[in-house]
Amino acid sequence: MEQDLRVRLIGENEDDERMDSGDDEEIESDDAFDESDEEKYGLYFPSNDHDDEEGAVSTSEDEASPEALEELQDFVSKLDHADDKKRKSNDVSTQSASKKRRLMQERTEAGDEGEFGVSVRGSTALKLDDLLAPLASSSALTTLKKSIKVLTSTSTKTKTLLAPLPQRAQERLDREAAYEQTKEEVDKWSATMKRIKQAEHLSFPLQAQPEGRVSNLELAAKFKPSNELESAVDNLLKSAQLRDQDIAGTEALKMAHLSVEEVAARRAELRMMRELAFRADKKAKRIAKIKSKAYRRIRKKQRERLGGEEGDADVDVEDAEAQLKAEVERARERATLRHKTTGKWAKAMQGREELDVDQRQAIGEMLERGEKLRRRIQGEMSGDESEENESDDEEQDVETIKQSAFEELAMLNASDVLSADIKSKSVFNMKFMRDAAERQTREADAAADDFLKEMGGVEQESDDDACGDRTVTEGPSVQRVGGRVVYHPGTIPYTKPVDSHASETSSVTLQSADLVQDSPKSLNSISSPIISSPTQESNPWLVTSSSSGPSRKRSEVLVQKGSDALAKSTNKLKKRIAKGGEEKERIQDDAVLEIDADNVLTALEPASTPAVINTKHKLKGKGKGKEKPKNDSVVVRISPADADDSDGHSEVDEQERTLERKRKGGKGKGVTAFKQRELVSLAFAGDNVVQAFEDLKQSEIEADAPREVDTTLPGWGSWGGTGTKKFPPRPNLIKKIAGVEPSSRADYKKAHVIISEKRDKKAAKYLVKELPYPYTSHAQYARSMDIPVGAEWNTRVGFQRGTLPRVVKKMGTVIEPLVKAS
Amino acid sequence: MVKISVLQHAPSVHLPARPGDPTPTTRNLDPLMHPFARARERNRALNAAKMDKLFAKPFVGALEGHIDAVEVLCKKPGSLSAVASGSWDGGVILHNVSERKHIRRIQGAHKGKVSGLCFAQDDRLLSCGVDSKIKLWDASPQDDITEQRPLNEYPGKSAFNSIDHHRSDPLFATASNIVQIWDETKSAAISNLTFPTSTETITSVRFNLSETSVLGSIGSDRTFTLYDIRTGKAERRIVMQMSSNALAWSPTFPTNVLLASEDHNLYTFDVRQLKTPTHIYKGHVAAVMSCDWSPTGLEFVSGGWDRTVRIWKEGQGTRPEVYHTKRMQRVSSSIFTADARFVLTGSDDGNVRIWKAKASEKLGIITARERAAIEYRDTLKDKWKQDNEVGRIQRNRHLPKPVYQAAKLKRTMLDTRAVKEERRRKHTRAGESKPNAERKKVVITEQT
Repeated sequence: MEQDLRVRLIGENEDDERMDSGDDEEIESDDAFDESDEEKYGLYFPSNDHDDEEGAVSTSEDEASPEALEELQDFVSKLDHADDKKRKSNDVSTQSASKKRRLMQERTEAGDEGEFGVSVRGSTALKLDDLLAPLASSSALTTLKKSIKVLTSTSTKTKTLLAPLPQRAQERLDREAAYEQTKEEVDKWSATMKRIKQAEHLSFPLQAQPEGRVSNLELAAKFKPSNELESAVDNLLKSAQLRDQDIAGTEALKMAHLSVEEVAARRAELRMMRELAFRADKKAKRIAKIKSKAYRRIRKKQRERLGGEEGDADVDVEDAEAQLKAEVERARERATLRHKTTGKWAKAMQGREELDVDQRQAIGEMLERGEKLRRRIQGEMSGDESEENESDDEEQDVETIKQSAFEELAMLNASDVLSADIKSKSVFNMKFMRDAAERQTREADAAADDFLKEMGGVEQESDDDACGDRTVTEGPSVQRVGGRVVYHPGTIPYTKPVDSHASETSSVTLQSADLVQDSPKSLNSISSPIISSPTQESNPWLVTSSSSGPSRKRSEVLVQKGSDALAKSTNKLKKRIAKGGEEKERIQDDAVLEIDADNVLTALEPASTPAVINTKHKLKGKGKGKEKPKNDSVVVRISPADADDSDGHSEVDEQERTLERKRKGGKGKGVTAFKQRELVSLAFAGDNVVQAFEDLKQSEIEADAPREVDTTLPGWGSWGGTGTKKFPPRPNLIKKIAGVEPSSRADYKKAHVIISEKRDKKAAKYLVKELPYPYTSHAQYARSMDIPVGAEWNTRVGFQRGTLPRVVKKMGTVIEPLVKAS
Repeated sequence: MVKISVLQHAPSVHLPARPGDPTPTTRNLDPLMHPFARARERNRALNAAKMDKLFAKPFVGALEGHIDAVEVLCKKPGSLSAVASGSWDGGVILHNVSERKHIRRIQGAHKGKVSGLCFAQDDRLLSCGVDSKIKLWDASPQDDITEQRPLNEYPGKSAFNSIDHHRSDPLFATASNIVQIWDETKSAAISNLTFPTSTETITSVRFNLSETSVLGSIGSDRTFTLYDIRTGKAERRIVMQMSSNALAWSPTFPTNVLLASEDHNLYTFDVRQLKTPTHIYKGHVAAVMSCDWSPTGLEFVSGGWDRTVRIWKEGQGTRPEVYHTKRMQRVSSSIFTADARFVLTGSDDGNVRIWKAKASEKLGIITARERAAIEYRDTLKDKWKQDNEVGRIQRNRHLPKPVYQAAKLKRTMLDTRAVKEERRRKHTRAGESKPNAERKKVVITEQT
């Protein structure tokens, strides 16, 4: 094959051959391996160590060249040779001519000079160009000239042609060149291969043609009736003008006479209707889904009631019946004495929007009764009064009743004051009698207050300041009923809002307040924040200073005891310090704390606070406007010396002084700071954390330390009785528990930490010994393992993405090898 | 009338409304309802790994018909079911794998063993044998499946060892003591491609599948040679430590060629860089007799003298899947089917066996939910493969006892050799000899 190709090649296109060999390195890889170009490579010649021109010539020499070319070359070479000879002979002849006699010059030419006869004797030497001049018109001349450029060039070293390489070397060179070509060709796949290698997901076959889905529209557009049925249907449609294009036409016709606005309005209306229908449908569905029986019952009732109301409006006959029923209900209600709004009848009444006077009164009556009942249960009202009131109530208006009650109360108070003023030496002035009287009055007062509160008497309270002040600033109230002393926290019964009574057991509810007593309620709501505010804005230092934070041990001191507690805790601290002398330094080290100066500044002077808590309200009221915006903190170093001797705490004193100085700028008389010492002693009462920590660490170290356990069973393997020798435990029965050497612990020589050496066996199975391959850091791997892939922890799409396999093969699909895109 | 209470499941509750819609889920989306994610997933991964082993039943079936060892197998390009097998008795059978039937049965196709088979264009089959003949057969299904006459016969000068067809052109290459290129329409070889110094037999020749003019051959002189029919030359040759028995070009990585070597290993080479193999695949305990790439190019199968079939992942040089049966003898040929799901092997016992490429894969229709579950399990297995238990289960391979013992022995020998080498190195002058990378030991010379 090769031979054939070569022969054909050189015989046929001489020109091409010449051109190529002229610059034979310009074979482009792109078009190098076309089928038609295969022949080129038959001649492929690597000219690494030759010049181009030489290569070309040697190629042409090696191969069987056409006759013409050979002849020409022969001729040219001969010519050259002849030229030389002639020159020599010329010289010789001239020399001889000068020496010898002049002879008749030998005539060598056959004829005259002319176009076909060249005179040697002419002045100009014969050139190749002269010879070729007549051929100027032929196209082959230029190529010829090019090819013999080597021969005509003047440089001497290129005159001779090199001998061809030995065949083996030549072939090796050929192979190398061919390999380079193949490599280059194959290398075009590298981008593709890289992409495949790096792809996260591969779906085989890789070069599958994307199969387009045919849409219905497309099918419909293409549709042509093929069988009888189809054509019949088509005809029918056509005659009825129901085909797509016809329908469009008729619609256009109908809409033609309408204006744009009208069409828009129509469309909007339609949309509205559809929307409403949709919503109604949704709602109905949602309601139909509810399974609750209670709900169903309520619904049913509601429906009935609605129906009843309608009946009210329309017919009187049914109304009478309904009224009768309602009356029965009411009677039942009253009989059960459940005077609450939770009763059936009351609820029914509540549900109604419009109430006539009778009904309103009935409800009010019921509530009133409930109230009375409640009071009676509490035993707060004398029977005869209530009875009288009851009889009155029925006639009078509620407002007037209340008014009268308040007036009565005020009168009573006044008489009390009068009676206190009178000083006589009667039995009543004796101490025990006075005590008893006081107790009685207090009880009466309490009852009156209660009543006031119930009837919206807070109004009164806020009116006279003295009364309000007294009630509020009262300490933990001590009540004595009979022989038992009852302690109440100070202001709680007063701060409790009326709403809190609206429990299910009480008859006064929010509903009743709504219905009956509108004005007191609103008053209540105004007055309540004033009362409750002191508890809300309590000073954290004052409240919690004695308990001093949750982390400290054994520092719980009763707040109620006031300054006594402070003294106690100081004492405690003193005792402790006296006990542990070496602890002093440690405490001094530890107890560096920051105290917010703001809070200190708002605190009271201890001298003026026998009961700290009780004066809170006053303090707050006064210090409100004078709060310092500056939030300066003070570093306090507690030392045992501070606690026990008062002379050596110059530092603390100084701080106190500075604080005082600061305070004087904007402070009134009553508000002063705590003494730092007391504060700190409060804060660190019974604090011994360092020792505890060290003990803990020691115990930890001991628990982990290697140890030996004697597993000998007593009585086994040894003789008992007198005279038996006690053998040491057998070494094979001593179990050695490796543990962790204290010196090899992770927290060895680290005073402030305990690092556990315990190994969690259950957690160990989630650990890996070394970092798996693709990961470069521990965090990376941990992160990848943290995220679960299951459907429980991911969205549907997330799950699908997370579990998508790298290689997807379609079942029953032939996977063809990659094909080069042409 | 007895009232029958029926457990009713409204399809709308648990089935997608339209095909393609997601299946409605009834799970609680609150993450608090699904605690211990990590522990649960690990457990699932463990179960998945166990299930994988539990359901690993790779053997699908056997195609019978040969009365002697099966020497060669080839699949028809573009077909899932047509597979031809040639035997030592000179018979060629054309199988329909999906129906497990014979399409054609050619009793004495060649005198002596059939050494090569390949499909030509237009449903024709080329076979070559040690009787120095190449025969062209009609492979279309016919009534008389035992018709014996070849369509054409190409005489050769010496026994042929292998034959392969060009992917698109009507050309084919044969390997005897030289590599020859034939035209289907011509009775004589159109060219000879031989490395000049090559004198030994060429055992196998294969066309590259994507770069179709490139072909490679292996010879008994421990060489791999690269040819190109465009340049018409043997371009490069490498001499290796031991000779190869089979070669295969990767269908998706056209520069990669896989060699099944006599030294129990498989090697992949990049033809652009033949000095060292890109990967070494170690696992067989005897010579590897055959190899074939999966059409995906990400897996390959190899059959060995050790009576096992192994399925490897590209780039993972150890721990292949191992298939074996009690009766299967030395595996002389192995191919992947065109859908990359099955593996066919021909062995000395005269059977062609069908195996699943993935041992625990379920055959038959798989619903979307099942597929999701399978994919989830696979993901979990992959994610937790570093876990001790999961990894151990995944790595575990059941081997026949002789293979296991041989592997142990081989490992001991190799370890000893390594130790010896290390000691030798220690006792030479420092820096005199460096440890030689395993990959660099494979190729002795690269000849141009």
